[in-house]
Amino acid sequence: MSVLRPLDKLPGLNTATILLVGTEDALLQQLADSMLKEDCASELKVHLAKSLPLPSSVNRPRIDLIVFVVNLHSKYSLQNTEESLRHVDASFFLGKVCFLATGAGRESHCSIHRHTVVKLAHTYQSPLLYCDLEVEGFRATMAQRLVRVLQICAGHVPGVSALNLLSLLRSSEGPSLEDL
Amino acid sequence: MTLFQEDLDPDSTTDVGDVTNTEEELIRECEEMWKDMEECQNKLSLIGTETLTDSNAQLSLLIMQVKCLTAELSQWQKKTPETIPLTEDVLITLGKEEFQKLRQDLEMVLSTKESKNEKLKEDLERIFNELKTKMLNIKEYKEKLLSTLGEFLEDHFPLPDRSVKKKKKNIQESSVNLITLHEMLEILINRLFDVPHDPYVKISDSFWPPYVELLLRNGIALRHPEDPTRIRLEAFHQ
Repeated sequence: MSVLRPLDKLPGLNTATILLVGTEDALLQQLADSMLKEDCASELKVHLAKSLPLPSSVNRPRIDLIVFVVNLHSKYSLQNTEESLRHVDASFFLGKVCFLATGAGRESHCSIHRHTVVKLAHTYQSPLLYCDLEVEGFRATMAQRLVRVLQICAGHVPGVSALNLLSLLRSSEGPSLEDL
Repeated sequence: MTLFQEDLDPDSTTDVGDVTNTEEELIRECEEMWKDMEECQNKLSLIGTETLTDSNAQLSLLIMQVKCLTAELSQWQKKTPETIPLTEDVLITLGKEEFQKLRQDLEMVLSTKESKNEKLKEDLERIFNELKTKMLNIKEYKEKLLSTLGEFLEDHFPLPDRSVKKKKKNIQESSVNLITLHEMLEILINRLFDVPHDPYVKISDSFWPPYVELLLRNGIALRHPEDPTRIRLEAFHQ
């Protein structure tokens, strides 16, 4: 099956797996390292992919959270994300998908307008996070946040489901009416 | 058996059998839950996949969210809270943990109180010393004032010279021992502070009349309103 499904297999014991999808290899690697450094009661697994669909030959654990990393400096990054989205099962978007926009700090290099990603996140009803992954401090904070979200998505936090979290994270700022 | 018992807390009075029973119980519950999960997983694998396009994503997802949230809600409403089986050793362990926590909290409170006490003692010590020095200073000042007053009175208000002999032999005048103005003032001051509700002193023969007049005229002493033979010091301090 080339479409990624959220509950396609049983989870590993006390394991939470995150999939980072993006064109910027170095940034993804750095983010993965920051996440693995975090103190966490659950065992963390980080998978990196340039795009979806994932090669079916690999034996991988159940994916609990997908983060699409969009580099605002590169139109190709956005295009890649949009194409990958077609290979994700709809039920993933019930709180197990996140968009991460990087590069907003350097306004002059941005070739994608902020509104474009906002609209994308809004269309897929998923939270949009901003983080300049090149800056170590921001990256560490974002890693911390992602670990927390991942724990919830893996069901390791009693009483809070991924869908609950999604409702909580729902931003009141959607794209303005003119954009729609 | 005895070896295993030594591993346990020597204070514990529970039977070895109880511990293994609880463990077995817990493992059994876990296995049951895992079996349930496997069943659910099997059911899930029968459900087909569905991908989204930009145009239909929002609506489909919102509809799905409504369904799932409704399902979650009904689950929460049906669910009753469960605990791990509360056998004796589980309760004892939990109890011990609670007591440990309590003890730590109390120790913290104790140390806070103790350090507060220390600080208060030090403050008390310091303030006490300050007051002591203040008292000493004031006493010193009082002594200084009294001695200055004494000197002033001696210089400017001496007793009449006995050597001046009157032409007429007046026995009364010389037979009485006159007291100094200083002593008169002392008598008045002491009376005022000893008996505040009746600060009046009878004018005795030892008071030299001109000095009595001096005190009265300058408002330092006052006559008793009904008895002209009694005077008091004016209350300058009130």
